[in-house]
Amino acid sequence: MSRPLKLIAMVAAMAVLSVFSSFAQAADGWGIEGEKVVRYDAKVVDILCELSGDCPANCGSGKRQLGLLKDDGTLWPVVKNNDPFAGAVDDLIEYCGKKITADGLEIHNAKMKIFQLQFKRLAPDGKWSRANWFTRNWSKRNGAEDGGGWIWEDKTVEALIAKDGVLGVPGMKPPKE
Amino acid sequence: MRGFWGTAVGALAVVMLLIGSADAAAPKRIKVTGEIIDTWCYITEIMYAQGSAHHRCAIWCAVGGIPVSIAGKDGNTYMVLKVEGDSQNVANPSVLKIQSHEVSVEGDLYERDGVKYLIVTQVHDDKGVINLTHKEHGVQP
Repeated sequence: MSRPLKLIAMVAAMAVLSVFSSFAQAADGWGIEGEKVVRYDAKVVDILCELSGDCPANCGSGKRQLGLLKDDGTLWPVVKNNDPFAGAVDDLIEYCGKKITADGLEIHNAKMKIFQLQFKRLAPDGKWSRANWFTRNWSKRNGAEDGGGWIWEDKTVEALIAKDGVLGVPGMKPPKE
Repeated sequence: MRGFWGTAVGALAVVMLLIGSADAAAPKRIKVTGEIIDTWCYITEIMYAQGSAHHRCAIWCAVGGIPVSIAGKDGNTYMVLKVEGDSQNVANPSVLKIQSHEVSVEGDLYERDGVKYLIVTQVHDDKGVINLTHKEHGVQP
């Protein structure tokens, strides 16, 4: 095979792989008791609005916890995205009132049923994106290149720990590691 | 005439029953004492997630927008959606300050699909961080 043909074949193969991997994108299990890997279409709702009728515009514009309302009426609170130590409101707010395809984990726990979002797209055939927009937005807000270490650089975290300490009790020090 | 009244009373009874079932979705006023916890770590048990051992992580998670709950002494876990009229429930500054605290609150409970949601109408007591779990568990994570 000539060099140009090889190059074309490689590019074509990469394009096919890219399409396939996008289609095959699916949540990873975390080994959590009661977890179930799921993918389904559901409407993004403001949980407080859904329960009590207290409904600000645009699902609270990022200040309200959001949930997935399935066609059968089941409401799942989305408590976590795929970023370290972060919720999923940044990932969901632009879909307020719209139906998305949510890919993630249902955690079936007797204390509380919760959802962890790993990928999402506008239903039925929008473009998939990873549920990692908390760190994406945090980086933009803070002029950082990478939000992966946001917990060590965030000013609000810094102020709270400075005030009450790592243990939450002013003056009390953690044990030496 | 007696037949008419019998039918009317029957119809009224059905209406009352229907009203009763609609009330099942209405909130219930409760009082709860428990610890303010990070919902994700506590429910999934991916690490030890109570008291002073987990305080810093609870701060991270609350600032990161993970819902805050109360691990009640009654054995139930309540996801907090509103506190004393303030309906910001993502990284609410006043709630960030009370992570890992033991609180006694009163509020309206909504139960739906395996979740107990709490709208706190009044915080009666805040004892601060009194669950000193770091002695046994160190600092998590």
